[in-house]
Amino acid sequence: MPVKIPMEKWAGSVRTVTLGATAADGGTRQHTVTVGGETTLPFLHFEGEIPNRPVVATEIQDRRPDGWSELLMEAWGDRMNDPGDWAKAAEEAGADLIALTFGLTGLDGQPTSAESARLAVRKVLDATGLPVMVSGPGQAEVDNELLVAVAEEGAGERLVLGYCEDRNYRTIVAAALGHGHLVHARTAMDVNLAKQLNILINDMQLPLDRIIMDPTTGALGYGIEYGYSVMERLRLAALQGDSMTQLPMLVTVGEETWKAKESKVGQGVPETWGVWEERAINWEAVTASSLIQSGADIVVVRHPESVKRVHAVIDSMMTANDRGGS
Amino acid sequence: MALSGIQIYKLLPGGQRPPHPKANCKECGFPTCLAFAMKLAAKQAELSVCGYVSDESKDKLSAAAAPPIRLAKVSSNGHEVAAGNETVMFRHEKTFFHRPGLFLRVKDTDGVEAIKAAVSSADAYLVDYVGMELTLDGFAVEAASGDATAFGAAIGAVRGASDRPLVLMSADAALMEAGLEAAEGMTPLVHSANADNWEAMAQLAKKHQAPLAVCADSLDGLADLTQKIKAAGVEDMVLDPCVGTMAGALSSLTQLRRLALKENFRPLGYPIIAFPGEWCEDTEAAAVLAIAKYAGFVVLDEFSPASIYPLLVFRQNIYTNPQEPIQVTPGLYEINKPGPSDPVMVTTNFSITYFSVSNEIEGSGNKGWLLVADAEGMSVLTAWAAGKFDAERIAKTVKVTGIEDKISHRSIILPGHVAVLSGELEEELPGWEIKVGPREAVNLPQYLKMAI
Amino acid sequence: MSKYIATRALRGATGLVREADEMLTKAIAEKGPETPVVFPNTAYFLPTILGLTGREIETLGDLVPLLERAKSLLHPVPPASLWKPYLGETLDAGVATLLAAEAIEGVRFVNGVQPELFPGFEMGGATEYPHLEEGHLNGPIDDIQLRSWGIQLVDGRMPGFAAIVGCAKNNKVAVQIVRELQQRSILIFLAGNVNGRSIIHQLQEEGVEMGYDTYIVPFGTDTLSAIYAIGFATRAALTFGGMKGGQPRNIFLYNKFRVFAFVLALGEVDDLKYAAAAGAISYGFPVIADTVIPEILPTGVTRYEHVISMPFDEIEADDDLDRARKLVQKAIEVRGLKLQITEVPVPVPYGSAFEGEVVRKNDMRIEFGGKYSRAFEYLYMTEMDKVEDGKIEIVGAGFDDVPDKGAMDLGIVIRVAGRKMQMDFEPVLERQVHYFINGASGIQHIGQRDITWIRISKNAVEKGFDLNHFGEILIARFHADFGAIVDKIEVTIYTEPKLVEEWLATARKAYDYRNRRLADLTDEAVDDFYSCTLCQSFAPDHVCVVTPQRLGLCGAYNWLDCKASFQINPTGPNQPIPKGTCIDPVKGYWTGSTEFTRKASHGTVEDVTMYSIMENPMTACGCFECIVMLIPEANGVMVVSREDVSMTPAGMTFSTLAGMAGGGLQTPGVMGIGKYYLTSPKFISADGGFKRIVWMSSFLKESMAEEFKAVAEREGVPDLLDRIADETDCTEVDGLLEFLAEKEHPAMTMDVMF
Repeated sequence: MPVKIPMEKWAGSVRTVTLGATAADGGTRQHTVTVGGETTLPFLHFEGEIPNRPVVATEIQDRRPDGWSELLMEAWGDRMNDPGDWAKAAEEAGADLIALTFGLTGLDGQPTSAESARLAVRKVLDATGLPVMVSGPGQAEVDNELLVAVAEEGAGERLVLGYCEDRNYRTIVAAALGHGHLVHARTAMDVNLAKQLNILINDMQLPLDRIIMDPTTGALGYGIEYGYSVMERLRLAALQGDSMTQLPMLVTVGEETWKAKESKVGQGVPETWGVWEERAINWEAVTASSLIQSGADIVVVRHPESVKRVHAVIDSMMTANDRGGS
Repeated sequence: MALSGIQIYKLLPGGQRPPHPKANCKECGFPTCLAFAMKLAAKQAELSVCGYVSDESKDKLSAAAAPPIRLAKVSSNGHEVAAGNETVMFRHEKTFFHRPGLFLRVKDTDGVEAIKAAVSSADAYLVDYVGMELTLDGFAVEAASGDATAFGAAIGAVRGASDRPLVLMSADAALMEAGLEAAEGMTPLVHSANADNWEAMAQLAKKHQAPLAVCADSLDGLADLTQKIKAAGVEDMVLDPCVGTMAGALSSLTQLRRLALKENFRPLGYPIIAFPGEWCEDTEAAAVLAIAKYAGFVVLDEFSPASIYPLLVFRQNIYTNPQEPIQVTPGLYEINKPGPSDPVMVTTNFSITYFSVSNEIEGSGNKGWLLVADAEGMSVLTAWAAGKFDAERIAKTVKVTGIEDKISHRSIILPGHVAVLSGELEEELPGWEIKVGPREAVNLPQYLKMAI
Repeated sequence: MSKYIATRALRGATGLVREADEMLTKAIAEKGPETPVVFPNTAYFLPTILGLTGREIETLGDLVPLLERAKSLLHPVPPASLWKPYLGETLDAGVATLLAAEAIEGVRFVNGVQPELFPGFEMGGATEYPHLEEGHLNGPIDDIQLRSWGIQLVDGRMPGFAAIVGCAKNNKVAVQIVRELQQRSILIFLAGNVNGRSIIHQLQEEGVEMGYDTYIVPFGTDTLSAIYAIGFATRAALTFGGMKGGQPRNIFLYNKFRVFAFVLALGEVDDLKYAAAAGAISYGFPVIADTVIPEILPTGVTRYEHVISMPFDEIEADDDLDRARKLVQKAIEVRGLKLQITEVPVPVPYGSAFEGEVVRKNDMRIEFGGKYSRAFEYLYMTEMDKVEDGKIEIVGAGFDDVPDKGAMDLGIVIRVAGRKMQMDFEPVLERQVHYFINGASGIQHIGQRDITWIRISKNAVEKGFDLNHFGEILIARFHADFGAIVDKIEVTIYTEPKLVEEWLATARKAYDYRNRRLADLTDEAVDDFYSCTLCQSFAPDHVCVVTPQRLGLCGAYNWLDCKASFQINPTGPNQPIPKGTCIDPVKGYWTGSTEFTRKASHGTVEDVTMYSIMENPMTACGCFECIVMLIPEANGVMVVSREDVSMTPAGMTFSTLAGMAGGGLQTPGVMGIGKYYLTSPKFISADGGFKRIVWMSSFLKESMAEEFKAVAEREGVPDLLDRIADETDCTEVDGLLEFLAEKEHPAMTMDVMF
């Protein structure tokens, strides 16, 4: 019997946001990355358009990080010693974007300075042609100081500056306004907070197509269901026509999963957790691929193997239907 | 338009005027007819558990009478896996109820010894996740050899190594019959009926009272088959939409769920079986999709702890009640092997709260005693606002955990958000010094560094 | 609009455009039309001209058509006999002035007389002119500095800028004005002169360092150089507002609403200054003059006072320095600048960590209120002029002479003023006093209004805590937390018993008035209800509609709280819901509340009533204080409070019921509410109201006995409470029915509920 497939008539769609600027637009990126534009829920090709693939960003830091898992130290090796070198390695490993984050201090224990932040950004911009996202260590005053300098250094590159949070967004937004960048708006797993921050940022005159929203998530086993559901809800709201939620979404999967004991450590854990490296990469890849299903347009990961894994999943999701009614 | 609880109530014994003799009889397991009516309205109960509804009322209640996705169960030796009865498309709307069963596939061509070895190690697998013990749910045995004896032997080998339920896989009715005989005494899932073999398969399923998986590569074909099979007397079915990619699986499974829930389309109102190993090289990612997007039975092709552990955890996470957060067991948690002079901190038993606090302390290398109070799974501020995290409860936690015998000091650190409790807590815990810590867990390491 | 101003501004503008024309003609004749015209280090050409006309001026020749455009904006000077609101003409004249002024400065750059030479002058940080060796003033601000300051203006660290034009009464006053502005991180631009003497001279003579580093930019000693301030503001809109050249309206609006700037006109105001002032008005920058000039006050055309006259010598103050302070305060007030106070200046640790602290009798130095003395706090609003922001006054003796552990009378009277302040917010703000004062370590605050009870610990007194610190705390916290509605605040602390007595009487009148006001505040009397979506984080589709007669179900937010919360946080969870048309006054259907709920519940809730539990009742999150549930057999409802853990006649305990009532699902027959809704005349009024209550947790009966007594009388059944069962009478339906029959509960004879 012929079955009529129920289709949703969505009133809205996700905005399209372009990261990075090529020489034609006043930057030096070899190419740009465009995300968003969906007119239906993730990968429902039978119902709407998914014009842009989700993308994978690789997180690097301005210097060899402290406290990262040994697995990550091994995977990147000496290339972590220099942000430019690291960015290049990430590009070689298949990243679509570079996500540079600053530590609170340099290797010498001194607070990260605006000058060293500039230098790191310059190195990354010079070493790779990929669009770049930059975020501070997450402490309001330091973030503001570093990002204002970064914004100036990378003027015209359409960087993504983060994190704008409800208590600290004005300076970063102002810096983005002043130097032609985008911002990364981060809220704590709550639909209305996400919406509110977008309104506040937009209220400062930053156009909505220069905002990427990060609803944040827990890692697998550590609250992923909250991130997953908040993203589903934000995407539903966007499709239902709520303009302040119609922004592409980003999640920093690597930052979350590599905090989990399952990823971080190989010693003194239950045998049933399985082989450390395999488990750790699974942890990151599973978290990332499930959040892509719930609407993430950009996932930020740390391990080079995860980049490949997530790309394969995206390939599979973007392959239009074989069967399944029409 | 769905009926409200009150509308349903009027049709139940309690709603009759004068009241039916069986009004509020509680035989349905609910305290009153009104409570039962409200559960029916929420599609969380079945009308059939009430034996006193008039036929006339039953007709009126037909829409509310059966869940849109029929429950299917497989069982063996006290193990049971049920799928179906789901009511929503998205987990934030209401809980996804029946966690999909995870089955490991073996083939009768693998050899009996290999099967035994594989099954017994997978069967024994048990991992602890926040106090819950997670395991695989069963095995799928595929008649790849085409030989009835081999199939029977393989099933015997699996049963010898595990008590868990089975999925029997063959499109050949004769083989399936042999398989069902080998599975005597349990209720396996019969996989599968198709356009060519459905009559014979339906007969088998009926005879063995086993649910029948129905396989077709289009929804039209699936709906045709389920109707024919239902007419042949089989009620319990499972759908296999035979998809080959992740995108295809997502589309088909979404469409099936929508048809059942939104259109109440009975021919496709059954749970779904999925074979994610056939969708993508990244089998974990494919299995994650099957779990999140509507499969009721998931058949895996490989087993390794490092791969099954994340899947079990993911399933647990997705199938939690979104309104009832995951809780950790209240009590005393020792972090980094603390000694008598190390600090005592208190927080609530909402899992995310607990994880943030314990991860921060542990990650920063601090030692400490973390008291987790029973705040009914709420975060600190919410629990405080709801009166579930007050001085009395904190004091009780201090007393019952026996922390006093383990430490040499009498000082406790409160979360900054509930600083307001410090005065009352002093009253409740005479002789203790109440310190107020930071509001957010992320600032704990710095606080500990400065304060201690 | 003052005709006087209009006349003089038009005259000034006409003169200036003519002057520009002459200068340009001369320059073109001497140097040729292709001669480049550039401001240093900017990508915005001549920025004001670019912004207002979209013209990219690159040569002298480009200025010719520009001046033609300026001329077309000049209207005839109004004849002496005609009176009308001249705002349009004046504003056009202002724009013409700005275009001409910038054109003139452009020509002056060509002529080498900009920046203005000023031998021996040094600045700490300034626009660079590599070709100049001798001292000079700054001229226009370059793009690098624009971006750096722009970020601070946009993110709010820098509240705004002041363009000071002219010359102060004397050098001391000049310094004082600048210091007052600097203290508030307001950026300062200097220009102009009076009879050849400029504030720049005054500051230089007093040794005040000028330049980017000190946030004081000396543009030039002539009035025209004030145009650089406008150029700065224009570029801010282009850079940070995403505007393009040639969008004057957008640029004006951007500056009016986002760039908090004002002009201080010091000394005599000539025609040119009037014209320039008119230009500033277009940008929304008010002009405050320290001489006698006609004022432009709000008329509906402008958003706030635009030209204010504050003749310096007539400012009421102790001396000139104090006058300077008041002049600056007035300017800030007029422009509505918001200042941040980040630290609470008290000698004891301060923070919410200390909120729950208890001060025991033994540790106590002194107490106010409680058993042994009187204490109250009273906050009221008054006019802007009547409040001196930041003032703390103690009337009466301190507590030095009060014996240890003693008591004394205390009255804390708080006067606030604000453009967005409303009388209805008084109680909302007054309730904050409790939290604010409690934040100080060693201070305990209990109660409110005239049952306030405050203790100060010995320890706090040893550290120097005194009565004035109550004022310090309140001023700092109200500014910080309620800056959106409170612009000015002043605190008076009374200890003199007679005055305490008098003020207490006044306060009690106000408390009384507020109580009555609350009682008068009905759903019919207001235009807007308020939403609360605070709980959507865990009940994604739930929306509370808060009305004057139905507070939020958590009990924490009443209608006034929501209203104030919206003023403070306009994008927050409390949004006004215009009621729209009333569809059904009995059940409580309005078009507005229905539409809002439908949208904010993401389509989950189709319709909602305000006053019925049976038909489309309001949903609940999970925070409710009580659950109301239909008991069909009793033809009434029961009310169970969250404190009650016992069984109820519904066969379920509170926590089981909570699963049914919460989660944002609409379940007729069950409803989660705030307990004070029980006392409202609108409590399930569509279904029969309070008389429908047949069973109620004893906790509620006891804790709200008085309130319920009044309700019972209002309902005409004075002994109603005795006829309502509780868990000590029965916990199941049969027992309940017997109880109700015996007590002849009114619900037994009311209409059937469904």
